Amino acid sequence: MNGIARILRKRWLLYFLLCSPVFIVFTPYIQSDTEFRADPAKYLLDYVGLAATYIFAIVISITPLRRIFPKSGIVNSLAYHRRPMGVSVCVYVFLHFLIYYFYTGSWADFVKDWEKLFILSGILAFAFLLLMAVTSSNRMVRRLGARNWKRLHRLAYPVLFLIIYHQAAQEKTGFRETALIFAPVLALQCWRLVLASKSFLARGNDSSNEIE
Amino acid sequence: MNVRKSKPWNLPESAATPESDYLNRRKFLKAVGLGSSALVGGSIARAATAGFPSAKNDNYLLRELEPTDFELIAGYNNFYEFSYDKGEVQKLANQGWKTEPWTIEIAGQVDNPMKIDVNDLIKKIGGIEQRIYRFRCVEAWSMVIPWDGFELSALIDLAQPNSKAKFLKFTTFYDPKSAPGQKGGSIDWPYVEGLTLEEAQNELAFLATGIYGKPIPNQNGAPIRLVVPWKYGFKSIKSIVKIEFTSKQPMNTWQALQPREYGFYANVNPKVDHPRWSQASERIIGSGFFSKRKETLMFNGYEEQVAHLYKDLDLRRFY
Repeated sequence: MNGIARILRKRWLLYFLLCSPVFIVFTPYIQSDTEFRADPAKYLLDYVGLAATYIFAIVISITPLRRIFPKSGIVNSLAYHRRPMGVSVCVYVFLHFLIYYFYTGSWADFVKDWEKLFILSGILAFAFLLLMAVTSSNRMVRRLGARNWKRLHRLAYPVLFLIIYHQAAQEKTGFRETALIFAPVLALQCWRLVLASKSFLARGNDSSNEIE
Repeated sequence: MNVRKSKPWNLPESAATPESDYLNRRKFLKAVGLGSSALVGGSIARAATAGFPSAKNDNYLLRELEPTDFELIAGYNNFYEFSYDKGEVQKLANQGWKTEPWTIEIAGQVDNPMKIDVNDLIKKIGGIEQRIYRFRCVEAWSMVIPWDGFELSALIDLAQPNSKAKFLKFTTFYDPKSAPGQKGGSIDWPYVEGLTLEEAQNELAFLATGIYGKPIPNQNGAPIRLVVPWKYGFKSIKSIVKIEFTSKQPMNTWQALQPREYGFYANVNPKVDHPRWSQASERIIGSGFFSKRKETLMFNGYEEQVAHLYKDLDLRRFY
C-alpha cells in the first residue's frame, strides 16, 4: 500500500472531508456571496443537494473501480470507506429535504409539491437511501444475512437513476451539469459490465455467482 | 396588500411620499459605494443614458413595499448571455462588454422606422421618470425595483405603427466575444421576446434605462431593457438592439426552447403551475432563510390594469 492510499484510509480524514461542505458554508466564500444573501434557503438547497450528488457519484463508482483496478491501493482505501460515505449521502439528502421544507415555507406547500415528478424522484431516492443507511451497520449485515443485505443494497442503482433524473430536471436548459457528473459514472458502470460479460464468456457455462 | 387598495394615481400631489419613505438612503449609498456628493454631481457620466434627471411618477409607487437592496438587484441576475450562474453575471458583464454608444433599431410595420442612439431616443421621448414595480421571476422569487425609463407607448407613438402591426418583436444584442454565454449552449442566440401591440400599449409596459436613479448596470440589461411587471421576468428582455413591429406572433426564446413550460404570454398566474414547481407563492429576495413566502398575486398584483387584455383568453392554455 502506497503513501496516499495509507493516508486515505484514515477515518478522521474521511470524516473531515465528509463534513467539509458544512464548514465551507460558514466561511466568507459563501457568506459574502450575493447569491447566498439574496436567497439563502435556495442557495443551501442547491448546495447541499450537490454535495450529496458528488459523494454519491463517488460511492457508486467504487465497485466498478475495484473491478477495473483491483490492485489499486487508492481504490481499495476508498472501498474501505464505502459504508460511512453512503451514510453521509443519506445525511446530506436529509438536510436537502429539511431545507426544502424551509424553502417552501409551509407544510401544506411542501407536501403539495410531492405530486410533481421532479420532487417525487427526490423523495423516493431519499426513502431508498434511508433504508440503506439504517441497515448499514455490521449488526444489520449479520441480521439480514450477506445475500439479502446485498440484494437490499442494490437499491443504490434505482437511486442512481432517480438522482440523475432529479438533477437533470432542476436544470433550466440542457443537461450540462448532470452530464458532467454522471457521464463518467455511467461509463465506469458500462466498463464494469463489459468486464463481467468477458469473464462470463471466458468461463463458458461454468458461471459462478459473479455478483459482488 | 396590492395596488388596488391605494389607487395611488388618485392621490393629490401633496400626499406624495417623500423619498426616504421608500428608500433607505444611507443603505443605498453604501450599496452603490458612492458618497452623496458623487450622487448629486452625477459623476458616472460615462455610462449610456447617464445625465437624465428622473422624477418619481406618483402613479406608480408601491408604498406598501420596500424596494430590494440595490446590491441584490445588481448581484442576482439571470443573464444567460454571460453565465447560467446568477452570482457570476455581474462580474462577467463588466469585463469589456461595451454598452455605450448603443444604437437601437425600430423597424417593421411602422411609418417611421429609425436607427437611433439610445440617448437621442430618450431626448426625443422627452426624458425619463421613476416607477417602482414588482418583479416576479418564473423561478418563484421576487424583487421590488425602482426603475427609471419611459413608457413603451411613447416609443410606439414615435414609430407610428401601420394597420398591419399586431405584435412587437424585441431582440437582444449578439456579441459572443463579449458575452461568453452566447458561444454555445442550447439557446438559439440572440434572445428574442414579444408582446402583442395591445400589451405593449398598456400604461405599465416600460422601457428602463436606469435603476435607483442611476444608469442601468450592464448585468441588469444596459443600456435599455423592457419591463412588463405583470409577466414573468424572462419577458422583460435586456439590452435591446431592435424592436420590430410584426403582423405575426414572434417566437420568443424560452417558448422555442421548452414550449411545454414557457409560453408566449407568460403572465404571472398563481393558479397555473410550472410543470416542475408551484407558482402559487414566491420567495422574497433578501428576506433571509426562515422568511415565509409571499402569496403570488394574479398578474403580479396588476390585475386592475391588465386583466381586460386577456378576458377572452384561456389562461391555462395560453400560459
